[in-house]
Amino acid sequence: MTAVLRRGALLFAWLGALVAMVCAVMVVVSITSRALWSRPIQGDVEITQLLIAVAISLGLPWCQWQRANIIVDFFTQKAPPAISRRLDAIGCLLLATMGLLLAWRTGAGAVAVQAAGETSMVLALPMWWSYAALAPGLALASVIALHQAWQHLRLAPLTPASN
Amino acid sequence: MATPTLVGLLMFAGMLLLMALRVPIAAAMFVPGALGYVALSGEASFLNQIKGSAVARLTVYDLSVIPLFLLMGQFATQGGLSRRLFQAAAAWVGHVRGGLAMASILSAGAFGAVCGSSVATSATITQVAYPEMKRHGYAGRLSTATLAAGGTLGILIPPSVPLVVYAILTEQNIAKLFAAALVPGLLAMLGYLVVVALWCRAQPQLAPRGNPASAAQRFSTLLGIWPLVAIFVVVFGGIYGGVFSPTEGAAVGAVATFAAGLLQRELGWQGIKNSFIGSAETSAMVFMIFLGADMMNATLALTGMPAAVANFVSHLAVPPLAVVAAVLLLYVLLGCVMDELSMLLLTIPVLFPAIMGLDLWGLGAQDKAIWFGILVLMTVGIGLIAPPVGLNVYVVNNLARDVPMGETYKGVFPFLAWDAARVVLLLFFPLLSLGLVRVLF
Repeated sequence: MTAVLRRGALLFAWLGALVAMVCAVMVVVSITSRALWSRPIQGDVEITQLLIAVAISLGLPWCQWQRANIIVDFFTQKAPPAISRRLDAIGCLLLATMGLLLAWRTGAGAVAVQAAGETSMVLALPMWWSYAALAPGLALASVIALHQAWQHLRLAPLTPASN
Repeated sequence: MATPTLVGLLMFAGMLLLMALRVPIAAAMFVPGALGYVALSGEASFLNQIKGSAVARLTVYDLSVIPLFLLMGQFATQGGLSRRLFQAAAAWVGHVRGGLAMASILSAGAFGAVCGSSVATSATITQVAYPEMKRHGYAGRLSTATLAAGGTLGILIPPSVPLVVYAILTEQNIAKLFAAALVPGLLAMLGYLVVVALWCRAQPQLAPRGNPASAAQRFSTLLGIWPLVAIFVVVFGGIYGGVFSPTEGAAVGAVATFAAGLLQRELGWQGIKNSFIGSAETSAMVFMIFLGADMMNATLALTGMPAAVANFVSHLAVPPLAVVAAVLLLYVLLGCVMDELSMLLLTIPVLFPAIMGLDLWGLGAQDKAIWFGILVLMTVGIGLIAPPVGLNVYVVNNLARDVPMGETYKGVFPFLAWDAARVVLLLFFPLLSLGLVRVLF
């Protein structure tokens, strides 16, 4: 289970960064073409918005896996592990709640927007694409948070060890 | 039926409690915000509201700049640019007393010009500069404090992730804010150099003199850093000159640093892998906080509290500058326990309208917004190195484990004094930040 989640998160993060890199190259091509022939790539702003949004959402599971979400640990630095691990379990559960709510509602948004047939201004891209593309990252991040909550409650060794 | 104000106050209290109990800040803002929304306008309205919130936040074009700048910073780190920068700076100033500490500050400042994060800047410069300072017998306290303070140049000198966040929250022009940050950022760097020089003059035993590098060595180090100079000129020349948007500039920067890393044969497979994974992780972290703050702020808007605060502040019988000073003091205090992004996302929607309602030096709305943004940025920089929780101090001490953290905290005080002095200077001389904006735009 642990290994599967880790691989999934890593794969998502890879894909996300790759998408961001592809987007950056697309922008460079567009600027060059605009400067040389006054012909930018049609709808480059829309493409950037979509690709970067997808890139960010694909990074969410890895961020969760690494426990990179910022916490304030100032007030609990001296708490014994039995307590801080339980608090961390609560934190993971709340994060999972947030992620699952957003994943579910973003998915519902995709269905609603598809039914309404909304499209983007320049390229007439279906708007539901961006909704649908964001849900998987949110969902996987939430599953990882649930898994971490369980590990905290069992006082299992932390993976990754510490950062 | 609960009154909106009561709901608002309960939400705030709940959020602070959750934060104190180690709940990740994103969730500590989202969950009370969501409950408050349900209490005020019902479940159906809430479920409808959050349908579009992820898409609405993640597809903001101006925010697309953040993942791209993070990618650029990662490539610069993994591509060995920080090491080349430090080598060049050390070759030119390393022989004077405290020269290696000065070289750390200079290289952190130059690195800050392509990197928008103070954590990344502190970490990467520490990795290259700390071993050198140690080898030359520099005192631990001097080395780590200099590195922690120098790391703040990562956000003080544009690009700067917190400044982008401020620009989005207050609907200001990112390019103008970057321009406004430039002179105060350079002042920060110069002041840090002076601090090191004075400190080493007062306590020469802390920093033994080194041997000067030969002229040939000096000029050969410059060859190593030309890609960085070129990238900086293209990216920021383009942004300030209006050739492209900040988002486009960040894309150009990411591709250019990637290419430079490959050409200089510094960016290998492992480096690319680390850059990808690292930028994905940090982007996600930033946007999680955004998503939490969005929920909180949507509900706060329902309660009408931001308007009430603005109204209250504008009727206070105190000088407007005192209000600004009080807000900045609040940031220093919050910065003691919180990270800079959460702090901005949490407070700007409430406090910004209040500031804009004040008459400050007779500035117009846009000038006032820009000036206040730079003040906030510099104040946030203080929180990064001030005890008890200075993020940069943690980062540096994590890499320089032989120096106790208490030593670093003792060492940062002279730098903090300059930080405070700079905030006061900018408070009384808005032209320090607005001057360049007026020249360029």
